[in-house]
Amino acid sequence: MIALLRKLIPLALPVAVLSWLGLLLCMLLRASPPAAARWGFPPDWAILTTQALFAAGVFLHERARPDRLRGTEFVPLLRQLLVWPGALAAVCVVLHLTEHLLAAYVPDRGPVLLNTFYVINLGLFVYFLARTCYTWRSLVFFRSQPRIRQEWRWFEVLLGVALMFRLVSGDTISWFILPVLLLLAGLGVYLSAHQQWIAYLNRRQKWEIVFLQLAILGVMAVFGAYFYSLQDDPQLAGPLAQHAFLVLTSFFAGFYAVMGFLVTLFNLPTAGVFEQKREEILSMQRLSQLIQKGQSEKEVYSLLFDSAVQTVEADAAWLDLDTDGGAPGFSYQVDASTREGICRLLADYNIGHIEYLNNDLPNSAGFRALELPYGSLIVMPLRSTKHHYGTLYLLKETRQGFDRENLSLLQIFTNQTVLSIENLRLLQESLQSERVKEELKIASLVQESLIPKTLPADSWFEIRWHSLPAREVGGDFYDFLQLSASRIAIIIGDVSGKGTTAAFHVAQMKGIFHSLMLLDKPEKGQPLQPSKFMAMANQALSHCLERSSFITASFYIVDYKERGFAFARAGHCHTLYYNAITEETFYFQTEGLGLGILRDGAAYEKRIKNMYYDYNPGDVMVMYTDGIVEARNAQDEEYGEDRLRKLLERSHYLEAEDIKQSIIRDVEEFSRGLPPFDDQTLLIIKFKNAQPLA
Amino acid sequence: MKIVPHASTDTLTLALDGELDASSSVSLDTELTKPDVLDYRKVMIDCQRLNYISSAGLGVFISHLQRFQDAGVKLVFFNMQDKVHNVFEILGLDSLMTIVPTQQEATAV
Repeated sequence: MIALLRKLIPLALPVAVLSWLGLLLCMLLRASPPAAARWGFPPDWAILTTQALFAAGVFLHERARPDRLRGTEFVPLLRQLLVWPGALAAVCVVLHLTEHLLAAYVPDRGPVLLNTFYVINLGLFVYFLARTCYTWRSLVFFRSQPRIRQEWRWFEVLLGVALMFRLVSGDTISWFILPVLLLLAGLGVYLSAHQQWIAYLNRRQKWEIVFLQLAILGVMAVFGAYFYSLQDDPQLAGPLAQHAFLVLTSFFAGFYAVMGFLVTLFNLPTAGVFEQKREEILSMQRLSQLIQKGQSEKEVYSLLFDSAVQTVEADAAWLDLDTDGGAPGFSYQVDASTREGICRLLADYNIGHIEYLNNDLPNSAGFRALELPYGSLIVMPLRSTKHHYGTLYLLKETRQGFDRENLSLLQIFTNQTVLSIENLRLLQESLQSERVKEELKIASLVQESLIPKTLPADSWFEIRWHSLPAREVGGDFYDFLQLSASRIAIIIGDVSGKGTTAAFHVAQMKGIFHSLMLLDKPEKGQPLQPSKFMAMANQALSHCLERSSFITASFYIVDYKERGFAFARAGHCHTLYYNAITEETFYFQTEGLGLGILRDGAAYEKRIKNMYYDYNPGDVMVMYTDGIVEARNAQDEEYGEDRLRKLLERSHYLEAEDIKQSIIRDVEEFSRGLPPFDDQTLLIIKFKNAQPLA
Repeated sequence: MKIVPHASTDTLTLALDGELDASSSVSLDTELTKPDVLDYRKVMIDCQRLNYISSAGLGVFISHLQRFQDAGVKLVFFNMQDKVHNVFEILGLDSLMTIVPTQQEATAV
């Protein structure tokens, strides 16, 4: 059925035009008896059939036109309807008058003129009805459910049936048709109730629509009056047009227009409220858009302030901000004394920072005394769970000026604002921390470059190192310096504290180490004594170390020619040693105070001792920082000196690299799964049996 | 970390309870920085419940050592656990500060 209709659509317009011409011919023949006598008198059914075909053609053609409604442009849609088809009514009136005028001059041509104009006017009216019906369809379908489309289709089918009635039943309306017609009228009334589109109009548009609907009704009235006056005209040559069909479509078109007119009219008083709600929604949209754009805090506050003042139509308002910089906030038509008075009063009542609505200021005890020119007040704090950002005050001159909706809307505004402010701050913080991270990375790279990469290598000893800072930069340090072919200086140490401050002192300590080594002059019989080195380092540090910081260090000078080493310990972890001759593993128990603790040079030197030891090939020396022996396990136990000593007892025969690996592995196993608590540094020296240099 | 002060006529006793690390050493520093601390003849630190001391904790005592000496206030540690004593010893502080086994001895100093 639908497919068949679709195929007929291109034919609709030609059929309409042809049947209209046919109708015109029939009517003219019947109007002039001489012609009829010559060409034959057309029967009633021919006229009715051409009329029906014409109406069906025009309606089908209109039906197939694309929807004229663009978006929510209702006013242009109705204007189009009025301008083109509506203008036809004027044509109708002009024709009618012309006919009366002409009939006076050529009385014998009267019937021909009347019938010609009748046919033209009928054509115009049918086109106007079709156009109106399908314009209304666009409006009925606007944002409707599929069910409505189904119902509309039934309405069309019934209209089509009504169109046929006249063909079969003649002038009278039989009793069995009546219920169908009533049903059709009822359906028309039901469809007329679909006027949702009116809700989308603003006040100005509603006024326009009211006048447009009135004009359209006027056009219909003009047509109606014309056909009514013609109904009983004896000069009318043919039977009247399809009663039921035209009456029903006119009824629907008229009823929908009346309904639309009434709904729009009664909506006019509330249009302001609708518009205000619309404005509220728009402000909310603007506010949430800004969140995503991530603009400055000031802009967000300013937007909140403007939106709030606009939407609740406040007569005066201000926004106090609690920012650290004491930002000025915003104000609107309010003087300083009013602000101060209200703030002081609220603070006195201890409600300065909570939501507060007072709709009757002149009758509230405290506010009456202020003698404000205002009747209503809203106080709305801007806060999150943790932070209070500011407070918004809105005033209205009238009493009962604010309602619950205003309050909940303001809540949404302030929540949005707080959210966007927090977002902005988070963004800034993350940028900041990103920069700090970047700088730490650089610091870590700098420190990395301070660590000696080229280890002194010789045939008489082997040295291996390992270093693992707990953070990006650490407080552990070690360094080597080849003093001569047979002498080497080694330092290992730890700065109190961790992180960046400790790293600065590490750099300082390395500078001190390299400077002081210049004082070592064995060729003049003045080798640098380790205790002297410590005393001078202490002296140097006492000028640049804060009072609560200190440094521990062990300093060694190994002399291959002498087959021995001298060392001093300044509060640093005891050195672990394996003697290959006695096969003993032990810690050197020497005394020595940490650097930077006693700032009196002479007093410090008394507390630092030199120690000399002769090494044998196969001996192993293990130097480390407290990050190794104080490494903790899940039970919060420390790794400890004993465990380290026992490990060396088992592994002293290995190469330096393997001893190092076994210690690292053991510490890792001990503190399995726990991140390093402190910086860990490890140095292993294994003495070898080598031929003396030439 | 809990610090319980107890004052008698000329002695202030601070009982340390817990771990003296970077964060808790700040409160100890605040306690020792109070000006009226220097009015006492002696400040005794009860280390019975002190389980751990970090370099920051040691730093607090070191930084106040000179100040106490200049004001003629004695700083005495007592009841120290071996583990903690070992830390003092390695750093060489045992020769610089007065560390005694018991409270009686500390009172007698």
